Amino acid sequence: MKLKILQDNLKEGVSITSRIATKSVSLPILKNIHIKTEDSFLCLSSTDLEVAVKWWSLTKTEKEGETTVPLDLFSSFINLLPKEEKVNISSEDNNISVECKDYKTKIKGLDPEDFPIIPTVEEEESITIKTDNFLEGLKQVVDIPSNTKVKPEISGVYFYFSGKTLKLVATDSYRLAEKIIFLDKKVSSEFSFILPQKAAKELLNIFINEDEIDIKFDSNQVLFESTMKETDHPKVQLTSKLIEGEYPNYQAIIPEESNTQILLDKEEFLNKIKAASLFSGKVNEVTLSIKEKEDEVKILSEDNDLGNYETAIKGKTDGEDVDISFNHRFLKDGLSEIKSSEIVLSVNDESSPGKITPVGNDDFLYVVMPIKNN
Amino acid sequence: MKKEKLWQSILAEIQLNISQANFNTWFKNTQLVEYNGDNLTIAVPNTFTKEWIKNKHNGTIMEAVESLGEKVDEISYVIKKNKKEKKEVEKEEVKENESQMEFEEFKVDQESNLNPKYTFENFIVGPFNELSHAAAYAVAENPGSVYNPLFIYGKVGLGKTHLLQSIGNEVKKSSKKVKYIPAQKFITGVVNGIRNGKMEEFKSRYKDIDVLIIDDIQFLSGKEKTQEEFFHTFNELYEKNKQIILSSDRPPKSIRALTERLRSRFEGGMIADINFPDLETRLAILKTKAQERKIKIPDEVCEYIAKNIQKNIRELEGALNKLIAHHKLTGKKVTIETTKKVLKNLLESPTKNVSPDQIIKAVTKFYDISESDLKGNSRKKEIVKPRQVVMYLLREELEYSFPFIGKKIGGKDHTTVMYSHKKIKKKLEKEDEDMKEDITLIKQMMLSV
Repeated sequence: MKLKILQDNLKEGVSITSRIATKSVSLPILKNIHIKTEDSFLCLSSTDLEVAVKWWSLTKTEKEGETTVPLDLFSSFINLLPKEEKVNISSEDNNISVECKDYKTKIKGLDPEDFPIIPTVEEEESITIKTDNFLEGLKQVVDIPSNTKVKPEISGVYFYFSGKTLKLVATDSYRLAEKIIFLDKKVSSEFSFILPQKAAKELLNIFINEDEIDIKFDSNQVLFESTMKETDHPKVQLTSKLIEGEYPNYQAIIPEESNTQILLDKEEFLNKIKAASLFSGKVNEVTLSIKEKEDEVKILSEDNDLGNYETAIKGKTDGEDVDISFNHRFLKDGLSEIKSSEIVLSVNDESSPGKITPVGNDDFLYVVMPIKNN
Repeated sequence: MKKEKLWQSILAEIQLNISQANFNTWFKNTQLVEYNGDNLTIAVPNTFTKEWIKNKHNGTIMEAVESLGEKVDEISYVIKKNKKEKKEVEKEEVKENESQMEFEEFKVDQESNLNPKYTFENFIVGPFNELSHAAAYAVAENPGSVYNPLFIYGKVGLGKTHLLQSIGNEVKKSSKKVKYIPAQKFITGVVNGIRNGKMEEFKSRYKDIDVLIIDDIQFLSGKEKTQEEFFHTFNELYEKNKQIILSSDRPPKSIRALTERLRSRFEGGMIADINFPDLETRLAILKTKAQERKIKIPDEVCEYIAKNIQKNIRELEGALNKLIAHHKLTGKKVTIETTKKVLKNLLESPTKNVSPDQIIKAVTKFYDISESDLKGNSRKKEIVKPRQVVMYLLREELEYSFPFIGKKIGGKDHTTVMYSHKKIKKKLEKEDEDMKEDITLIKQMMLSV
């Protein structure tokens, strides 16, 4: 293998593939990056056997070939090379030589024959989506899934396509967020899959500079792909296995009606929850006491050793007075993902889920279960 | 050669040709699922393994098969999760903290609708539910062949759902297809099916199940179309000797507006009731629950709760939860004094005030007649009986004077009221089960209308 590539390009490719590689006792080659020439393209790939990333760039190929080298070492070295300079890469046996101006190195690699074959997706469905909306929406829900293996179905983000919408849903069985993203084109029929949380988080890093993503999937895997600007060749591909099983019927837990609603300034509410959290003790409990007559919600927390805290926020209130306790962490998580400056908190009673929605935009909702007290 | 044996021999062969690390990575959790002489189907845990074996070891496997004296033309691969692996992880349970509530819906099994927390093991048996439990157990052991249908009835909060789901969970162990559905959901299903023209799809969902469990069947009352659909589903399953299990808050003969053909089918199997638990059982329940929650509660406290809450196991548990929450919050020991204080509200509340309107509404709703009929002068049997009941209840519950009751019910003479009151009272004294049933149910409804 022999090729020439710009340092900036190579650096981008290495950084995109670097997050996936993993240390594995049984398969040491997984910590390596696979480097291969494909005509006038250079292809870098890495995988942990659940998620795989491939990246391509135009290069001047002098001799075809492939190899694998430890990603950590390779990426540290590439990052140190001078910017906007040509990098010469060549390989012999399983070793790779990198030359750039007066930097010269030889890195020992492993036989590319042992590198896993990245499965292709037998395209059953394909959808194109604008990256900025998609990633922003994904970010709003991506931290919620629980990493428990007891219920694998909820350890990922649920993608549900229907009509002109994509719903992203995540839950850890204590709270749930649903984000609606509007698509440019109608999808041919309804379909859905559950994407592992790790892959979802990688999407946020990997596709941040792309304009559009194609999503293709079959029953076992999903492929996210962006195309090069200059030619019609894929630029980045992320392939992930899908989580088996059926996503729980989450619609059933979203309360349709509520006895009490209060309209609040998001920042003020968030700050006061943060203050209350300082005194919330081991169970993270803060109590909200909504009073219709005063048009306000009191926020209380108490810890036997630390002391207590009490404050109130004014807000237009409708419905019955109610006292309800939540884990402050869950409230903060939900509130901080809301973009609008005002929110509506809707509750029924002390042991039913509360709902937080943005004002002026109904593409996001957050449902959270209370803490039971006496 | 047997499938398992063939695969073992193939693996042994392959192991000789590749490195141990490679072998462990790619051939772990693989399985030979089918071999018919030319076609070999291998189950692999994921697509990476599929690609790897297909691209790198297809030839090796073929050679291995041939060297064992068998032949193969083609190898196909299917992706299948290893069941054993899944079971193991199910054991590790993580819990935020005791009082943080969860979405209950997520615990429910998607296919059967069963909640795994309900089992025979944690169902407490006493004289009041012995018969139902025995029948349920027999059905779970031999679904479809002993009591079909099994009809269990009893008041709210006495464990009907627990018993029903226990049967389901038990039967599920033998990989039979079980479906649990509350009657309200069945009704919604029928309504949506009709509205969206997807009735066939709805019906097909109930076609090939082995055990159908429907909770709170009394809600079918008055829903004619649903009753018809249910009648067909019932027959279809029954003819195939599939087990049907039903529950209700009253016996079949007391369910109003139920077609005769359904009623007779409900009565065609075994009818068992769950009564109010006796003191000993209530104590046993409290002690078991306390043990589950890993908290020590003195005997006298258990006795106090058991003596004061008599008619509802759910309330019994509620009281215990309240006590535990208090204990956790204050960190103080549970004593009889704190118990009395904590449960004060709970125990004093039952004497809810009822208004005469509530009584009238409950009665008209229960007998499905209009208020004007009730207050009118019709002498029809269907109207006279409710009228007498309403008068009886107004007297008993609110201690109104006879003339006042007469005035309330469309200006009747006070002697009519006295006669009505006496008549119902006599019926109850004569242990008229139907009447007793009616009165208790109306009394329950009064609080909720």
